[in-house]
Amino acid sequence: MNKFFFLSQIIVFCLFTYATGFPQDLKSLRESSRNFQSIKADFVQKRTLPILTKPLFSEGRFFFNTSGSLRWEYFSPLRNVMLQKGDSIKFYYFSEGIWKPELIQAVESRRMVLAEISRWFQGHFDESKAFKHPTFSGHPVRIVLTPVEGIDKFIQRIEVVLSTRPGVIDRVEIEEPGGSRTSIEFKKVEINSKIPSELFEKP
Amino acid sequence: MILYRCLTIFCLGFLLFPLGCSTAGRPILIPGSSEDLQDCMSLFPSGPWESVHRIEADLGTGLSFLLLGVTRGDPQEVHLQSLLLSPEGFTLFEGELRKDKIVVHKAVPPFDSPSFAQGMMNDVAFLFLSPSISPNHWGRAADGTRLCFFEELDGFQTEVRRSPDQDWQILRRNDQGQLIKKVSLKRPFVQGLSSSLDLESFNPISYKLKMILIPQRP
Repeated sequence: MNKFFFLSQIIVFCLFTYATGFPQDLKSLRESSRNFQSIKADFVQKRTLPILTKPLFSEGRFFFNTSGSLRWEYFSPLRNVMLQKGDSIKFYYFSEGIWKPELIQAVESRRMVLAEISRWFQGHFDESKAFKHPTFSGHPVRIVLTPVEGIDKFIQRIEVVLSTRPGVIDRVEIEEPGGSRTSIEFKKVEINSKIPSELFEKP
Repeated sequence: MILYRCLTIFCLGFLLFPLGCSTAGRPILIPGSSEDLQDCMSLFPSGPWESVHRIEADLGTGLSFLLLGVTRGDPQEVHLQSLLLSPEGFTLFEGELRKDKIVVHKAVPPFDSPSFAQGMMNDVAFLFLSPSISPNHWGRAADGTRLCFFEELDGFQTEVRRSPDQDWQILRRNDQGQLIKKVSLKRPFVQGLSSSLDLESFNPISYKLKMILIPQRP
């Protein structure tokens, strides 16, 4: 759960940074969030595991709006979706031509994660007790996040790399103890576009 | 005379009883050749390999979920490393089997019980490692199915079957002869690994795993 929690925080943080034109601190991010209604993006996730000689790639897309709705979807290698609308959170996976609901007990941690995502989307980054404040440096800009003690059992370091184009995220890299790494590249990011509400209700 | 006949029947029965038990449920086999034996053993990877599977777990009563299974194995060393990942790619379980020893490196609820680790690594070994003993006998059934039997000292038994249509099955029976686990392996095989595996466990816990091999990017 913790790893997913951090990954989610980073993704939200990155996209928020993109959306608000790269503000320099968390306070600015929160202020800028008031003009932020929705966001959607495609992503490619590259997971490097010590036991695999080749990385594992996942592709997906997500949608969010500040009313508290989120759709987080993977297309490959597994097709699954997490839907949140208000307090309602549902999980489905695609199998044999239909969407099937997932086992509730196994997704409880994801439920908690989605609640965190929503908080961050609303600019409440500093409410996390798990992350130290990010630092900004270099060109292109690199944002380094360091987890607090205890959480560092799961995450060693997170680095957000912005492209030379102002405000555009190039990638996010997450290092874990034991040598595993996750890299996420964002594509086709759209801010404040209209998102049909049914996207948050049905797989 | 009557006493002699009774003794004869008793002795014959005594002699035949173990034979009857040991062959219960088995088809009559045409004795197999060394080629048939090699064919059975060819089901299992002979050298180091790694794989990624889409795993759909069905726990019955409508409960199911989707996972990624990552495995790396070295049969010569009897060494397996396995990870279960959430669809998002987060490690839920990481374990290792070396010879008979299981080491859990990482496990989050609900995958953090010792019994889960034991069952998971046993399943991985059942799927990818050849039995640790030599086959007791092997041969062909009347329909052309090739069979190899591996009987362990504790009475448990593994049976490898290759049907005439070239699909495979591995069956596991307990010391009572009851089927406790079965896996069906479908073609095509990619670098020695089946592209589709259906595992059914019957005892002590009932569940099904449908595993699809995910090709890795070049």
